[in-house]
Order: sequence, then structure tokens, then C-alpha cells
Amino acid sequence: MADLDTGHIFLTTLAPIKSGTPVDPDSTSYEQRVRTALAELPTSRQSPATEKAKYNSPFARNLRNHFVRMFVIDDAIYNGRVQENALKLTIQKVNTITPQPVDTLNCSYLVFNADIDAITKDGDPLPTNLTPEQQKEVRRAYAKEVWDTMEEEISRIYNNCVGFDGIDTGDGFADYLEKCHVETLMPFHDYYLKLPKFHTLPVTPLLAAVAIPALVGVLALVLWLFGMTSVFGMSSLLTGIVALGLTFVAAKFGISYALKNGAKPLPPAEYDDLPSVLKSIYIQQKFADFVVENQGVSDADLHKAFGAFMAEHKPDDRTGPMQKPGVISSSRPDNIINA
Amino acid sequence: MTRELNLNDIQGNVTRAYGRFSFPFARYYFFHIDNAAAGRKFVDEVRKLITTAERWAPAPGEGEKPVDSVNYKPLVTTNMAFTFLGLWALEIPLRTLQGMPDVFAEGMKERAFVLGDRDQTLTEEEAEKENWCAHWDPIWQKNRVRGAGGKDDVHIWISMNAQCVPGTVDPVPELQQRIDQIKALAGSGVRLMTGNGRDGKAECQEASAVFEDFGGMKVPSPKEHFGFTDGIGDPVFHGQYPEEQMKTAVIGRGKMMGNGWEPLATGEFILGHPDESQELPPTSRPSEFMHNGTYMAYRKLHENVGTFWEVVDAEVAQYCKVMDVDEEEGRETILAKMCGRWTDGVPLAVAGTYADWRAFRKKMNFEPTDPEEAKDGAGVSPFQAYMNQINYIKSPEASDFRYADDMAGLKCPVGAHMRRVNTRDYMDPMNKFSVADDGSQPENPDATTALNKRRRVLRRGLPYGPPNFDSKDDKTEQGVAMMLLGTSLFRQFEFVQQQWIQYGLDFHQGNNTDPLLGNHDHHKRHTIPSDPSTGKPPYVMSKLKTFVECRGGDYFFIPSMTALRMIAMGIVDPT
Repeated sequence: MADLDTGHIFLTTLAPIKSGTPVDPDSTSYEQRVRTALAELPTSRQSPATEKAKYNSPFARNLRNHFVRMFVIDDAIYNGRVQENALKLTIQKVNTITPQPVDTLNCSYLVFNADIDAITKDGDPLPTNLTPEQQKEVRRAYAKEVWDTMEEEISRIYNNCVGFDGIDTGDGFADYLEKCHVETLMPFHDYYLKLPKFHTLPVTPLLAAVAIPALVGVLALVLWLFGMTSVFGMSSLLTGIVALGLTFVAAKFGISYALKNGAKPLPPAEYDDLPSVLKSIYIQQKFADFVVENQGVSDADLHKAFGAFMAEHKPDDRTGPMQKPGVISSSRPDNIINA
Repeated sequence: MTRELNLNDIQGNVTRAYGRFSFPFARYYFFHIDNAAAGRKFVDEVRKLITTAERWAPAPGEGEKPVDSVNYKPLVTTNMAFTFLGLWALEIPLRTLQGMPDVFAEGMKERAFVLGDRDQTLTEEEAEKENWCAHWDPIWQKNRVRGAGGKDDVHIWISMNAQCVPGTVDPVPELQQRIDQIKALAGSGVRLMTGNGRDGKAECQEASAVFEDFGGMKVPSPKEHFGFTDGIGDPVFHGQYPEEQMKTAVIGRGKMMGNGWEPLATGEFILGHPDESQELPPTSRPSEFMHNGTYMAYRKLHENVGTFWEVVDAEVAQYCKVMDVDEEEGRETILAKMCGRWTDGVPLAVAGTYADWRAFRKKMNFEPTDPEEAKDGAGVSPFQAYMNQINYIKSPEASDFRYADDMAGLKCPVGAHMRRVNTRDYMDPMNKFSVADDGSQPENPDATTALNKRRRVLRRGLPYGPPNFDSKDDKTEQGVAMMLLGTSLFRQFEFVQQQWIQYGLDFHQGNNTDPLLGNHDHHKRHTIPSDPSTGKPPYVMSKLKTFVECRGGDYFFIPSMTALRMIAMGIVDPT
């Protein structure tokens, strides 16, 4: 369930890239074509020097993704021989000169990672929990949004991947991406203004639930070994066996409880959705300007100016005006949406 | 345990800021090596003149004769350093060169974008088209020009600092003798690189302290051309001072890791010694070539004095209106809240308001007594008052303060120059932040300098320009010839320059840059927080312009005496 946390879906997909080269005179392999298509995607206007750039990242065309990465994995990384105890190997007569098997991938893969708002429609509030079916709906909605806003770029990249041939609709892309989906194991969230209530594990009760029957069981068996077959009118052997059985059940329950507890998603942070983030970046800049422009004015003028500020910038309105995605500041008028 | 450094092996400019040791004049000469053998011969001759870090014996008393074998303070010092291309020209083996840091190899010009010396709103192409370094001194414009085959690259830096003829603004005559001696040594194969100054006519970069005038008597001051007292809190490291002196020297200038003030690890500033991450700073081979050496960024920093006062005047006028204070208070407060110290060097952390500062000055006898009130020599003369200030800024009290007890910057603004270049204990992630209605803040008594101690640099250098406070404008030549030393230019100097001077995120100041040193072509603001108990709002300076701009420089390696001899003999062997 680690795909969903804090109202975001942390999406990971792996698409196999076709091996070899299409029948084509320029002998550019499919993998090379993917890499070229990725290299030619414009970056977002994320630095002062690129603010005036002609193109922006195609992922800046939607209001769902906070962060996206696409890259190619050639093969599994070889980390060298698996280290083992030299003494053990000597006794086992393992000759470490003989190479171990090396893991490889069956082909190159295109990785597409994204941190997206876990919603199916722009403007929806972020959820805390979603069933696997609902999560699938979020992924599909995102895939369709991406297709609708950047079909050309997506086709150019994915045309080189296994099983993509013939896909020409958003639904088709959503189906395809669903097949490529793998679970994200360790999402990382960065937006908390206030920390949420964490799912703290009740360590002491869990330990007690395991330790008490274990102690009773071991004590009973020790007494039985020393010949005390009955304690308080109960068979010590039977008590021991039952208590150890209970210990086993409690341990199993405890471990599964801890794992489930860890997998429970945290609630979304306040103002955690992309439109709120863009709105807050916008308000921060406009309010700083407001402060500077109104230093030293009379109370009446300040009141009036603040009224005008609220009317113009609508701090409570998540639909705008706000900063466009993929740009570095709100200072240029064309960097603002829904003004 | 004290660390004993081999001070005879370390160059003297590493351990000493000469300006603090009564050498108010400096000359920086630059050379190009046309012939490697001639270059090595030159190095061999100059190395015999080098001033090492050896401790100086007290000068002989009046009537006493100097003892021949004793190392007294010299009248003139000499030090030497090399660019990466200089080492290449001296035929240092490739294996040694490729083990040196990439930023050192690239040089400062190539790093201009990172350092904020080149407009960061321009792409590289646009900047090239605008000839972005056209305002640099010609020597630095011609240095490291792509495609020029390195014909005008700067290879060697030689600095000479000189004592003063007492009471005058003249260096001792021995300075000129030393200059002539070194120029004569250059001969053929080693070329003196002129082209210093805006017009490129100066054969070297001259530097001089700014002198105060007391009824005709000239006294070198610790001020730069904006009038701020400079160079107070230089870092202190293991082995720099004798144990007895270390006890006071370390206060406010070392690190604070839960045991009071301690000296920083030697390896932050001198290669071949353990550093603050408990390892040896990376060096190339052979280790004895790098041991006891260090890296230096030489930067000529021009001060736009005209623009500075124009902006300060405009801000003061608005500040006085908004805060309802008189012009004198407004001016002194604005200057102090930009810098972090009042113009006389008293830290804002010690005196946070104008009234506190005036009271402090009075208590410390920084103010001369009105001559009409003083009776027959009683009271404080202007010269005594001045010397009281000088003694104060040399004392540990002038450096002994923290920022974790002022997280909101009510006393010293969080974005002020001083808090940026030396963050002290402000960055401790466990620091608590709050401001009560009466202006009180958490003390954070256990805050450490852990996130600051790997970002310190030794600051060396002197102001350049006229040795007085006569009127100057943007076009006149004045500023600071600055040298920043450390074992990692990347981790220390460049980090501070990029992240703390040209950016504000670590201080919750967004894009705002250092109010004094930062580039203000695009980000023009500096916020001065206000104590809520005064009932006054914070004040945002919003008309800042670029007051300090780089006029050139490069990255240098300052070798040890051993390494200089190895270079001279041509026996640097990495195998």
C-alpha cells in the first residue's frame, strides 16, 4: 500500500524497451530512440536564466504532478561478488575464484516515476485512504490527463516500448501504464507545515503480549523438567505447551499488526495539493510586494490597500490567480493562471 | 592536547592576516611562465624570500641590540601561490595535477555563474554575447580565455605586505627594494603580468588600509571604504596559536560543540591534517607535495561607494519616516542592520538597538569627551577613544556571541551580512523558534555550530584605493583585495558565496542576497525584523543595488616550503 501516502500517489512504472533496431537505414536502436526523445523534452523554466525559454516541460501542462522523472535502466547494477565469511567458504570448500552468477535484466526498461495528487478530477480534496480499486482509478485518471495534455511526446517515447503498438487513446495509455505499474516501496513526502498524528506502534503492550505467555511457558516447562508435574492443580507440561503456543500466536499477530500499522497511509498535510502549493507560492510573492509597497502608509490607506489586495489575489481561492506550474516566479504576467 | 604544527613549513599568510599584525600595505604581483625551467629557477629564488608561519620573537627593547639568530617580525613579508595552469606550466606531473580538485583546475572565471559573478538570469550564450566580464581588470579578462592557447594566463601570485613608516601613510622603503628584487629575478622565461586596475595600467594590485587622521597623525584603521569595521571574527584552528594565547583567541572564533569554544580542526585550513569530518582532506600524490599547503580564492572586490550612499540615504529617509526616528539614529541603524555590527565593530548581538549601542559606547569610552567639558587633560581624547575601540574589537568580547538566542533576528537580522558568512549556532536543527509579545525568545543554550564548522574560510587581504575617507564614487578605484583560504574551495568558499551570500533559503530569506556583498540586480530586499514590544512593524529595505562586484581573480594553491622546494627542483613524483 506504499503507493498511497499523505494523499499522494507515488507512481512507479517500468516499460520494457524493444530490443534491436527497427528496419531503418539510420540504425538507431529503440533504446537510443527513447533516450533521444527524453533528451529532447524541454526542461521546466526552473532557473532565472531559462525563465524566458521558448518551451516548457510538457508535464507543466497538468495540475496533478508535483514531481516526475523518466529515465532508462540498461541493466541491473553489478555490485561485485556477494560477500561471505571467508572461514565459512573455506570449510565449505567454495572456490571464490569461480565467478558467481550475475543478475541481468531481460531488456532495457523505461522508468516513469511521479508524485501526484491522489485525485481523479482536478480540484478534488486529497484523500487519506483509498482501496486498491480507487488507487487504480487515480492512476488511470492521471494517465489519461497526461495523454490528453502531451500525447505527442508520450507516443514518441513509448512507441519504442514493447506492447505499445497501436495505442492511440488515453484509455489505451492508461491500460498500458497499468500493466507497467510496480509498487513503490518507500515514498517520501516533503510538504508538512505541521506534523500529522503518526501511527505510533504500541510497543510495550505488543511486547507484553508475547513476553508474558513466553515466560509462563518456559517456567512451566522448567518446573516439569524438575519433576513438578502439577502446579496449582494444573499440569505443568500442558500449561507450558499451551503458553508457548499462545506465544507463537501472539508473536505472529504482533508482527502482522506492526507491518499493517506501518503500511497505513498518513493523512494529507494541509494545503498539500498542487493548486494550493502554486497558490501559496503566488501569494507569498504578492504579499511580500504588498508589504514593501505599503510601508509607512496611514492606517486608513493600509486598510483600503489590503482590501484591494484581497480582492485581486483571492488568497482563499485555489483555482486562481496563481503561479503556473513549471515556472520559477510569478513576476511575469504570463506566468500566472486564472488572473 | 595541542597540535604542534611545523610552522616553518607553512607559508605565513595562511596563519596570519598581516593587516592585523601592523602591515597596512600590500602589493600583489602576477606572473606568467613561458619556460618551465626558468619558472622553476624563479620559484627557487623567490622561495628563499618567503615569510613562513614561524612565530616572531618580541622586538628588542629600546637600546637593546637585535640578536642575529632570532626571528623578529620582518618589515616586509613575501608569499607565493600558483594557479592550476601555473603548476601545469611548471611541469608538475599529470598524475599529481589530476588529483587536484576540479574547481581549482577550472579556475574562478569558469565558476562565475555559481559564484554569482555572472548574471544568473542570462544563459551562458547570452552572457558571452554581452562580454560579461568587460568590467574586470584587463589582467583578469585576458586570463583563461577559451581558445587563446593560455598565452595571457596568470600562473603565479606573489604578495608582499609592508609595515608603515610611523605616523605617515607610506610603506617602509624595504617594500620597493623587495619588489625590485623579485622583478629582477623574473628575467626571461617568466613574464610580469601587468593589466591591473580598471585602465589596466598598474603593474600590480596595490592595497592599503584606510587611515584615520588625528590632527595630522595618520593611524591605519580596520575599516573598509563603506566605513564598516572589517576582519574581526576570523576563524581559529588547532596549532595556530600557542596554548596560552589560544584560550582567549578561540572565543567566538572557534567552534561550539557542547564544550564551550574550541579551535576548529587544522584540516579545515591546512592540507594533510585531520578536518572537522574526522578525516584527512583529499589531496593528490605525493602527499608531501600537498601537506601543509592550502587553497586560496583571490578576489578583487570593487566597492560602488557612490551607489552605496545613494541607496542608504534613500532607505534612511524612508526608515526614519516609517519608524519615527531621527536621521542619525536611522542611518546608524540601517547600516548596522545590514552588516550585523555597528560601524565601530560592536556586534548587534551585544547591542541590538541604537540606544543600547550609544550606552555601550559611553560605557566603553568610545566617545571622546567634549573638549569644553574636559578639564586639564581629564576625559577621553579623540585618539584615546579611537584606541579604546581598536582594543575592543581585538578583544574576545567583540567575537563572543551567538545567534541561537535570537532566532527571529530581532537584534541582528537573520539576513544580515555577518549572520550569512558565519552562521555560528543559528543553523542547529534542534533550535526552537518563538517570539513572545515582550520580544523574548528561547535561549537554545545547547545549540552547536555543527552545520557551520565545515563552511569557514580564513579571510586575508586589505582594502585598496586611497588610504583615506575622502569622497569617492562608483568609478574611482576602491574596494577590498580579498583572499579566502581553506582546504576545499568548493565546500567552503564557493558554498558560502553561492548559498549564503547570493541566496537566502538557509535563513528563510527566499531569494534575498547578502545586503552588502550580494548581487542586487534582481533581488533588492533586506528585511529588518522588529521587536514586538516596540509596537513597530518590521522594515523591508527594497531599493538595494549591487554595492560590491568582483573585478577578477582566480583560484590558487599555496604550497608548503617543502612543496616549493620540490617544484623548484622539479622532483614532484607521484609514484
